[in-house]
Amino acid sequence: MTQTPLNPPRAAARWARYVRRLVAVSVLVYLPFLLTERQIFGYALSNMQLLNIGLSQVNLMLITMLGALSLNYLTGSAGLISIGHAAFYAVGAMTAAMTGSQWGWPFPVVLVAAAISGAAAGLLAGLPSLRVRGIYFVLSTFALHYIVVFVFMEYQYKFFDVVGVPYKAAELGNWALNTPVRWYFFLLPLTVAIYWLLRNSLRTREGRAMQAMRDHELAATANGIDVRILRLKAFAFSSSIAAVGGALYAYYLTNVTSEFFGIHFAIQFIAMIIIGGMGSLPGAVVGAAVWLLLPSIINGLAAQAGDTTGLLRSILVDHKPQLVQAIFGSLVIVLLIFAPWGITGIVNRLRARLAAWKSGS
Amino acid sequence: MLIQVLLSGIALGSIYGLVALGFAVIFKATDVFNFAQGMLVAFGAYFAVTTINLLGLPFPLAIIAIIAASAALGVIIHAVLIQPLSGRPMLAIIMLTIALSIVMRAVIEIFFGLQGRTLTTPIPTGIFMVGEIRISQLHLVAACVSWVCMAAFFAFFRFTPIGLLMRATADGYEAALVSGINVKVMNRLAWGIGASLAAVGGLFLGQLQIVSTELEHIGLLALPAVVIGGMQSIPGAIVGGLLVGLIEQLAATYISPKSTDIVVYGLLLMILMIRPWGLFGQRELGRV
Amino acid sequence: MTTALDIRDLSVRYASKGLALDGVSLSIPKSGVVALLGANGAGKTTLIRAISGLLSLHGGQIVRGSIEMDGQSVIGVPAHTLVRRGLGQVPEGRLVFKQLSVEENLKVGAAVLPRATERERIDAVYALFPRLLERRTQAAGWLSGGEQQMLALGRALVTQPRLLLVDELSLGLAPLIVSAIYRQLDLVGKTLGAAILVVEQNARLALDFADTAYVLERGRVTLSGPVAEVANSAVVQEAYLGSRKREDEA
Repeated sequence: MTQTPLNPPRAAARWARYVRRLVAVSVLVYLPFLLTERQIFGYALSNMQLLNIGLSQVNLMLITMLGALSLNYLTGSAGLISIGHAAFYAVGAMTAAMTGSQWGWPFPVVLVAAAISGAAAGLLAGLPSLRVRGIYFVLSTFALHYIVVFVFMEYQYKFFDVVGVPYKAAELGNWALNTPVRWYFFLLPLTVAIYWLLRNSLRTREGRAMQAMRDHELAATANGIDVRILRLKAFAFSSSIAAVGGALYAYYLTNVTSEFFGIHFAIQFIAMIIIGGMGSLPGAVVGAAVWLLLPSIINGLAAQAGDTTGLLRSILVDHKPQLVQAIFGSLVIVLLIFAPWGITGIVNRLRARLAAWKSGS
Repeated sequence: MLIQVLLSGIALGSIYGLVALGFAVIFKATDVFNFAQGMLVAFGAYFAVTTINLLGLPFPLAIIAIIAASAALGVIIHAVLIQPLSGRPMLAIIMLTIALSIVMRAVIEIFFGLQGRTLTTPIPTGIFMVGEIRISQLHLVAACVSWVCMAAFFAFFRFTPIGLLMRATADGYEAALVSGINVKVMNRLAWGIGASLAAVGGLFLGQLQIVSTELEHIGLLALPAVVIGGMQSIPGAIVGGLLVGLIEQLAATYISPKSTDIVVYGLLLMILMIRPWGLFGQRELGRV
Repeated sequence: MTTALDIRDLSVRYASKGLALDGVSLSIPKSGVVALLGANGAGKTTLIRAISGLLSLHGGQIVRGSIEMDGQSVIGVPAHTLVRRGLGQVPEGRLVFKQLSVEENLKVGAAVLPRATERERIDAVYALFPRLLERRTQAAGWLSGGEQQMLALGRALVTQPRLLLVDELSLGLAPLIVSAIYRQLDLVGKTLGAAILVVEQNARLALDFADTAYVLERGRVTLSGPVAEVANSAVVQEAYLGSRKREDEA
């Protein structure tokens, strides 16, 4: 029996992990300053070099990432697809309006209230899954989305006006979130914490059971685990996070209308998780990042193409949002046809091939 | 007046029925829940604006061009996007059609801009009176044409040899293969028909409203129509369309114009919970 | 060309399940009748699917080997083209068009024919199976099992195929009906001069009907030859025919 020398490679691997984490944390901490001052160690950086990204876009990405994470958590664990996920953002925004703008509760409490109302809404939205599955369930989420947005619209017109629902400035105690940098240092740890929370939830016995039984209902019932209750729990959890995202969205933008939560916003989330990789948390991160990067890159290209005329100019300069949508949609289509497991799936496969190539033949 | 509301409900419902019929044909033939049907309606309206108003083609020629262009679009969508994904889970294909609608919307907005356009056709837009009731000529023509189209399709489906082959393919895919039916051609045909029916709907809706990408939203009413009527049922789709049209008009008049969405989609939700296979559908054995 | 069907060294794999057929060779002479025997899961239906082009529908893939019908390869040829080339199939489970009437089912089968011959071919099927004539306007889904089997067979025969594949004809049917159908099949086969491949779990029936037999076990041909030989072999006697040899051996 040979004893494999465990210590040297193991210790080296551990060190490598620590170093990687240190680098990642440093980058993340330095990022906001990089983006606001547009220089690194004294060297000024052009817009294109920074991919034309500003800190407020990164903040919006973090807020949207909550939606993508929660949606991917739902699909990955419970195997349920919710087309109307943006509805929970609306629920959060509405709760924030009621508790924050109308009743004057402090910001952190508003967030908690949003989480609770989101969970309740998620529970309700998940109820159809007890009765129908598959396409019919997807349709129920579609219908619910319209209903929720209608309720928001009625609320907006009844208590506020056409211009929108206003939100007070967000503050944690005495520390006001009034600059993008402050928002960043609030949102980043929050997103990381939620990512961690979701990941751990997937690793519990319940989480694992749910995933394993996700597609095999009969096996689940035979094992005595009530998968249906677990699914409702997953839905409630996912929706509460999305509602928090919605509240943050509202506070960040300081004013929202019901149009912000239309079906197109909901579809963005689906597109994000398909591009990133359905059912996986890293996939949500990648998807949200792509969603952030694409408009910025297009904007950058448009700035460079300042002198072109005709159709190209029309597309690049006058119709930037449309071009972004066209590329976004085409990316989803291409991935669905050729790589339905998304970008993270592609990366994983490449990694596996690389590992096989290194160790084997 | 109630009669008034019912009449416009029937008129609009006939158009919705036509679009829903196109949707049902695609679904029955290829098992695809085509979320892009709404955009196909919008495309039809834009084809109309282009051929009739921008290019100035004579009306009959324009109609032929619209139908041909939309049928071609349907066939291309099937060949390029749907066929490569055959055998994949239904949800993946649904997302594909959703992504397709995103791309279609962006393309229209790039080429035509965001402003709505008016569609003017030789179809009369006046009103004539029957007693105290005002009847819009446009509504009347739209309803009649829709019914003619639906009847024509029905006749095609039931009485022609190709219609027989389409029915057979929808009845059993493997059985069709075994019997020598060129299933690929059948599927393309279904998509061509589904798209052109949507385009005709777009022609009328584009005149009743403004031609803009918001027509997608109206076209998507075909979804609740088909589900309420029964997804696998051709007559069900038509009845569903009529119901949605009537309910929409009743809600708009007696509740509020903004309430139509919630009433229709609320009804959809109820049907999904109580009788998911729709009014005319058949309960499938096992889990729905 | 004396063979209607010639399969050489065929290996087929399903997506995640390994080889379903491993180096199978089989041939059917023109006007010959071949029985394919084997237990459930031996690969009989896989072989039928490989011939008729339905393999990819079920997630299967030909890894090696050749299949020729009348000297022409059929691999990669779409199913409907094969029907035009003279292939007929009565699939496992019948697969009639449940919502179409009997007459419409037959019309679908006749769709590949020139219009002029359609009526006489359909009438010929009715002559063969008078029960179908009685039920011509009824929806196929309402027919009894035996009648559906007749319909499936009739639908395939309408085109007067040169090669007919019959998969599990007897499944779920009463013995009397099955014998009656086999008698008609025999008659038709001889009249048309068609080559017939019969897949059957009911070995006795198949062996009565065929000239040659193959036995498939776990994807491999373990026995083949003239029917008399195969029927008398110990293996077949024991496994498929319910051997009485043990009792005879004193």
